[in-house]
Amino acid sequence: MNWLQSFKMAFKSIMSKKGRSALTMLGIIIGIASVMTIVSVVNGYNKQTMERINSMGTNRVSVYAYRQDNKNIFDGLYDYCLGMSDIIDGITPSASIWTQGGVRYGSRSSTNMEYAPQLYLGSDQYSACNNFVIEYGRDISKVDIVNYNNVCVLGARAAKLFFDYLNPLGESLSVNGVAFKVVGVYKEKDPDSDWSLDNVIVFPYTASRAINNQDIGSLSEFIIKGKDKKSLTEIVSRVDGYLSTVIPEGTGYYSVYNEGQWQDQSNEFAKTMSLVLGGIGFISLLVGGIGIMNIMLVTVTERTREIGIRRAIGAPRSAIVSQFLVEAAMICGIGGIFGIIVGFAGTLIAGKLIVNMILIPGVGVTAAAFVFSVVLGIIFGMYPAIKASALLPVVALRAE
Amino acid sequence: MLIHLENIYKIYGEGLESEVRALDGVSLDIDNGEFVAIVGSSGSGKSTLMNILGCLDSATRGEYYLAGEDVRSLTDRELSQIRNKQIGFIFQGFNLIPALSAQENVELPLIYQGISASKRKSFAEEALERVGLSDRKKHRPFEMSGGQQQRVAIARAISTKPPIIMADEPTGALDSKTGQEVIAFLRQLNKEGSTVILITHDNGIAATANRIVRISDGKIIEDRLQEVSAL
Repeated sequence: MNWLQSFKMAFKSIMSKKGRSALTMLGIIIGIASVMTIVSVVNGYNKQTMERINSMGTNRVSVYAYRQDNKNIFDGLYDYCLGMSDIIDGITPSASIWTQGGVRYGSRSSTNMEYAPQLYLGSDQYSACNNFVIEYGRDISKVDIVNYNNVCVLGARAAKLFFDYLNPLGESLSVNGVAFKVVGVYKEKDPDSDWSLDNVIVFPYTASRAINNQDIGSLSEFIIKGKDKKSLTEIVSRVDGYLSTVIPEGTGYYSVYNEGQWQDQSNEFAKTMSLVLGGIGFISLLVGGIGIMNIMLVTVTERTREIGIRRAIGAPRSAIVSQFLVEAAMICGIGGIFGIIVGFAGTLIAGKLIVNMILIPGVGVTAAAFVFSVVLGIIFGMYPAIKASALLPVVALRAE
Repeated sequence: MLIHLENIYKIYGEGLESEVRALDGVSLDIDNGEFVAIVGSSGSGKSTLMNILGCLDSATRGEYYLAGEDVRSLTDRELSQIRNKQIGFIFQGFNLIPALSAQENVELPLIYQGISASKRKSFAEEALERVGLSDRKKHRPFEMSGGQQQRVAIARAISTKPPIIMADEPTGALDSKTGQEVIAFLRQLNKEGSTVILITHDNGIAATANRIVRISDGKIIEDRLQEVSAL
């Protein structure tokens, strides 16, 4: 007997008991849909996190360092890092500042914006460290820093908030009453979120004196951008060594931290989530599979006479096994297809509700879901199928 | 010799006090082209004998050669092939599969032979035409009368053109007129060369056979040839 024939037969048998088949499939549908939704949402969320980490800048080392006497640490660290330009792409302070008066341009003020721009103090390498690229105008320069120039560069979102589609170059923003000239705008890199990374205004770090009368020595958070991931360990150990000479024990505090670890942790977390939630879904699939086995056992009992007839007219055991296996696999396969459809809907809804993203299950997840449901049918259909085929023809024929 | 049985025993619960000997040392030879009626009352062992002859059951002891082959040494697949190609079964309760149409029921043995769909269709149609049911091809068993269902079962039995027809009380569930039609059909098949083995408790039916094998308490008590009376 060929396979096509088995499929036709199984389909017929399933269709002849639609209600029962549907109920049997329900377990598989729920299981497949939930596993798919969970895996897709976690994957999507993880991808989003990774993209965010990437747009913030990868291969970074963050440094926290201060001296009790408020002596300037950054200038020395800056020069030290310049000396390692083979493995370091840039270094900048990473201090966000807050002003009571906010930032104003004409009638627009950051104090009454729903999402006010973040203000940062940066070096001429701020953009390199934070994955910004100048779209027009120019970046902050070394000269701006040395000369205490009152200039700033806007992120794309901040530029839009203050200037809409007008050209901001040459215009002046008022920060705490001090005028800062806009010299450049960064290219948009994070267009979709409310807390966009583009909603920033970057000032030369020496402007802290003009903005809130603070000394450069009070800057304590810095970012070093490494050439690549494997250079980070060396950067950490060398910067750590340097700082131990600049900040001897008892005179202050410092820490050097590899952000790549954070990235790994986030990956690890997503993996754990996938495993735990996926495991729960998997258990529901097992329950569904046991349901399949149960129903197939009932089916075998009900159709014992039919099995006897088939055996009497020449069906070998293997044909009976394949008949019931194909039937179980087909129930699960059809259930799997419905589960995939529900899983797509579930992923869209859960993606929107939980992580506020439009997520669609990937081809791999979808294919795996289908294959898995069929395999589940084969595994749990095996016992009933073998049981059906093991009956002596004469015994099966006698069944009522 | 087509069928050779020697000292066949079928014993349930052997060695126990409740031991039942359904067949108690049966020896029987049946030749090609014979029309044999195996007659006995209920519980005599005639159905057990037919099950063993039809390879639906195995004997506890004894030798069974079918067309020269030692049946006891065959695998499940080989036994299935014998049931499929050598024997056509006709049962008292028809034993049609309710979910399948007449045509599909008749095609079933051909499916297990791996015959192509188009050939199956023509073989099944031919068989249904022989039993006069060409106009009932699409009907399900429950949409047909008992006589029609038995004709479908006969069509199924002859669709593979087997050399042996085994009929177990084929008239038991039919009225006498329809029953006579079935017997007449079996006779016709026998005339065309099939070996027919008919199991019955009805002496009237048995009278239509060329040879009567009477069985009682698992033993053959009579085995004789006879002139066939007209129907």
